[in-house]
Amino acid sequence: MSHAPRKFSRLLAILFAFTLLAAACGGDDGDGEGAGSEEGSGSEEGSGSEEAAGGDAAAPCDGNIDGPVTLTLTSHGSGDAYTGAVADFNAGPGTELGVTVELIDLGEAGYEDFIVAAAASGDLPDIIDMDGPFLYNFAWNGFVQPLGNCVPDGSLDDFLPSIISQGTYNGELYSLGAFDSGMGIWAKRSVLEANDIRIPETSEDAWTVDEFDTILRTLQDSGISSPLDIKWFYGAGEWRPYGFAPIIQSAGGDIINRSDFQSAEGALNGPEAVAAMTTFQTWAQDGLLDLEAVDDTPFIEGDVPLSWVGHWMYGAYKEALGDDLVLVPLPDFGTGSKAGMGSWNYAMATGDADPDAVWAFIEFVTSPEQVKIIADAESAVPALRSVLAADPTFQPGGDRYLYVLNLEAAPDIAFPRPATPAYGAIRDAFSDALADIVAGADVQETLDKAVAEIDADIAANDGYPTQ
Amino acid sequence: MTAVAAAVAPPKSKGIKKRVWPSYVAMGLFAIFFLFPVAIMVIGSLKADEVVIRDQTSLAAFNPSPFEAGSNYASAADTGNYFTSLRVSMIVSTVIVIGGMFVNSLFGYALARLKFKGQRFLLGLVVALIIIPFEALAVPLLLMMSEIQWTDTLRAQFLPFIAQPLYIYLFYSFFKGLPKELEEAAMIDGAGPYRTFFSVVFPLARPAYASAAILTFLYSWGQFLWPVMVARSAEVRPLPLGLTFFRGVPPVQWADLMAFATMMVLPVVIVFILFQRHFIEGVAGSGLKG
Amino acid sequence: MTAPAATTGDLEPSSPEPQSRERESRFSAGIIFSLPAALLLTLFMVIPFGFALVLSFTNRKLLSPLATRWVGFDNYVDVLTDSGFWGAIKNNLVFSIVTVPVQSALALLLAILVNQKLRGSVFFRVVYFLPITFSLSAASIIWLVLLNPSGMVNTVLEVFTFGAFSPDWLNNPTYTMAAVILVSLWASVGFQMVILLAALQDVPRVLYEAASVDGASAWGQFRNVTLPGIRHQLFFVITITMILSFRLFDQVWILPPRPGGPVDATNTIMVELVDTGFGAGQVGKGSAIAVLFFLLVLFLTIFQRRFEPKDL
Repeated sequence: MSHAPRKFSRLLAILFAFTLLAAACGGDDGDGEGAGSEEGSGSEEGSGSEEAAGGDAAAPCDGNIDGPVTLTLTSHGSGDAYTGAVADFNAGPGTELGVTVELIDLGEAGYEDFIVAAAASGDLPDIIDMDGPFLYNFAWNGFVQPLGNCVPDGSLDDFLPSIISQGTYNGELYSLGAFDSGMGIWAKRSVLEANDIRIPETSEDAWTVDEFDTILRTLQDSGISSPLDIKWFYGAGEWRPYGFAPIIQSAGGDIINRSDFQSAEGALNGPEAVAAMTTFQTWAQDGLLDLEAVDDTPFIEGDVPLSWVGHWMYGAYKEALGDDLVLVPLPDFGTGSKAGMGSWNYAMATGDADPDAVWAFIEFVTSPEQVKIIADAESAVPALRSVLAADPTFQPGGDRYLYVLNLEAAPDIAFPRPATPAYGAIRDAFSDALADIVAGADVQETLDKAVAEIDADIAANDGYPTQ
Repeated sequence: MTAVAAAVAPPKSKGIKKRVWPSYVAMGLFAIFFLFPVAIMVIGSLKADEVVIRDQTSLAAFNPSPFEAGSNYASAADTGNYFTSLRVSMIVSTVIVIGGMFVNSLFGYALARLKFKGQRFLLGLVVALIIIPFEALAVPLLLMMSEIQWTDTLRAQFLPFIAQPLYIYLFYSFFKGLPKELEEAAMIDGAGPYRTFFSVVFPLARPAYASAAILTFLYSWGQFLWPVMVARSAEVRPLPLGLTFFRGVPPVQWADLMAFATMMVLPVVIVFILFQRHFIEGVAGSGLKG
Repeated sequence: MTAPAATTGDLEPSSPEPQSRERESRFSAGIIFSLPAALLLTLFMVIPFGFALVLSFTNRKLLSPLATRWVGFDNYVDVLTDSGFWGAIKNNLVFSIVTVPVQSALALLLAILVNQKLRGSVFFRVVYFLPITFSLSAASIIWLVLLNPSGMVNTVLEVFTFGAFSPDWLNNPTYTMAAVILVSLWASVGFQMVILLAALQDVPRVLYEAASVDGASAWGQFRNVTLPGIRHQLFFVITITMILSFRLFDQVWILPPRPGGPVDATNTIMVELVDTGFGAGQVGKGSAIAVLFFLLVLFLTIFQRRFEPKDL
């Protein structure tokens, strides 16, 4: 193998020849040259330029925005709140500073793939909006850079600690979001009361798994064929680890060993995880879970009294059920009720965009006014304490107070998704395993397989060494 | 190939006449099997989203009520970006079909008729390449496209599919089987190889072109695996990918999805019904040369 | 965008060729005629194929800050010791073993039915061929509705089995492959039918007449005249169906609750390839799967050449 590197460079030479030929053939945007240099840095020396930007927190901001700047921003949604925030920025501070932001709506499906593909083709947007746990892989790959000195001292004081910790990787702050998330079970109060079911108000007070099992069966016996809506129709993707990893965490397991993030062995396939997943499988097999719903109507129309879902359904549910709507914590599978946390947030892509301009936009979308608008549009938990304090539904006695309690008790109740570049592999393995378990596969075997997949990904990336 | 449509007078024995009814029953049952999904698609595209699945348990499935065709098709066009995807599919397929006809037949002709150095080697290479399925090349090709920053472009979707060893070989066999006399006569009249090809050979080869064009079109129109790998943004998603992206946003709006599917198959179905004989002959032509 | 066409744009007969230079012009024309396709084949087939071989011995990622290095046969060992890969091979084999005979036989039956010169047979021919004009992705999306637990398929089954049999086709791993086979059959049997129909029409009519003069039964005619008459195309249909069945991808990507699911019931070699080489960005390992897949197709092709019926 001693002459291997030479062979590899010959391979690169062929690739380069291909590049030139192909670019000559059909290239209309003269990207051949960029490809050549990209190739060199990508395969031979690791990531030269990216590393310099990612590894060193040295001051990206110099306090000046030089000339008019246009920034691109990818977004997972095109709701009015997002387009409104961009329009408000462009009309307000943007005009003052000479910064224009252009919104590219990608939708949530395939969002992560898109960013990876864009990075592969050297075409990253300047500001990336992403779901929390993608950050760590993006940061490890050098797609995004730390905010560093762009963030003025004291400007983070109003943020929920959960937002800061979600945005931190390897000791550096990379991202900030306008809202955090909340997880629980939305219930129809009248149905619970009619069946003499206790309504817990805090996570400490959550139904135990046996109690919950009885509740589901009671409701089923009362004539509701599948009483628990679990949004199974969301399909693969972020929902399954977000919504259902808390089961395993509540049982005492986890989806990865968080001591060093090198293996899921024992955490995801240990006896606690297997027991909890077996219970969940039993519920599926006994028809207690509504796996056939194709949309939100079962709970909205009152056919199903329990809906296991995140904060985003609050608006629609409140409108449909009014005061009959009540939020209860997820059941306790052994070590206390847990809940998912974290949500979409903004980071500064690695590239030549002016960091001061990027920060100006991130600062704007995380300002109290915008946080209020965006969080309301998403029915989400505002990322700023000041905004949170002004909303009565998040105060004691309010509809969504449980979310606040859970987030304040993080990481004991609200449980962050693991801050590791392997998150994508963990999510895919867990998501597939959960689907297989619901479909009736052997629980131990399925979780062992998921562990093997996660560990193989980590091994294939040399353990994701910190750069 | 034209034999497919050639009418052969049916033998008029009594035994055959007796068996007409069972044949009709069988053909009718099969016709139902092939048509009812089409009916469900079209009718599903006309009614409200929430009843598409719900109505499946009864004959209500075939009743377009409540009628919401307008909003379904509008949603497929706006949210589903149908017209963007249609444009992508049309550009990609057109370039592949026309470019493919051109380069593959020229190469096939050169291998069959013209004499040049390396000809036998090239013929051997083409035959060898026939057995390499595209799927075996997809991963390295993806890396190459990514290195030259071609992912998310249209050219990444059509360039790899223009030259096809199978069609080069089909054209080669076709030209090999043509009588040489016509070409020789043209040559004697002073026509060079270019004029000979375009004015003498090309018109004779229409059936081969039709067959290759139709097969190439059906293949490129339905391409899925490669777009899954290289097409990301809405601007470069061909119809099959556009359809699955449209479905990817929960909750699935079934009627909108059926509207997208209907609009997606409609252009091809219309062309097919207009030219069904050519379609069927074209596909049948592929069987003659294994 | 039509770059290849542009290169050949100057192919028009610009200058009349003197006869004495015919050989030369045939030589240069040969090169020019060959060039566009040969260039494209080199760029998009030969080089990527070489690449697949080379990359399969590296740990190359689509994107990674880590350096690429040689890993010898590690990728092959990984793939060949992975139960997921063998599961995929098994699924492809199951699909193939069912689809090849069933689809070929059904195609032949349909071809025979529409080959009778009955009134309306053109209509039926068009109807059976219609799904070919749908892409597999559109077909899969439509069947998602029909195969829903309360979909039309189960509604019909419940009528015939008095409610005894109505499985959750796509979520119950026992039935998912059956559903995939059904959709594939619907979407592609017309293709094989048309090829066999052409073959049937090429069987000389006199052979049937001779057979009926000899008093052969319908079955006898089928065995002794029809089958031998169409053996080449029938063989072609069987082998092409077999090779295509190993490329199974679109349906198993779209129909199940997750690609290749549930519980890997419809995981195929192509799903493994895309998941590894694209999804996980492991180009090296994905290339190893591609090379193994190529070897499989090579084997099937050699098998086909070996057993192809010879002319009498």
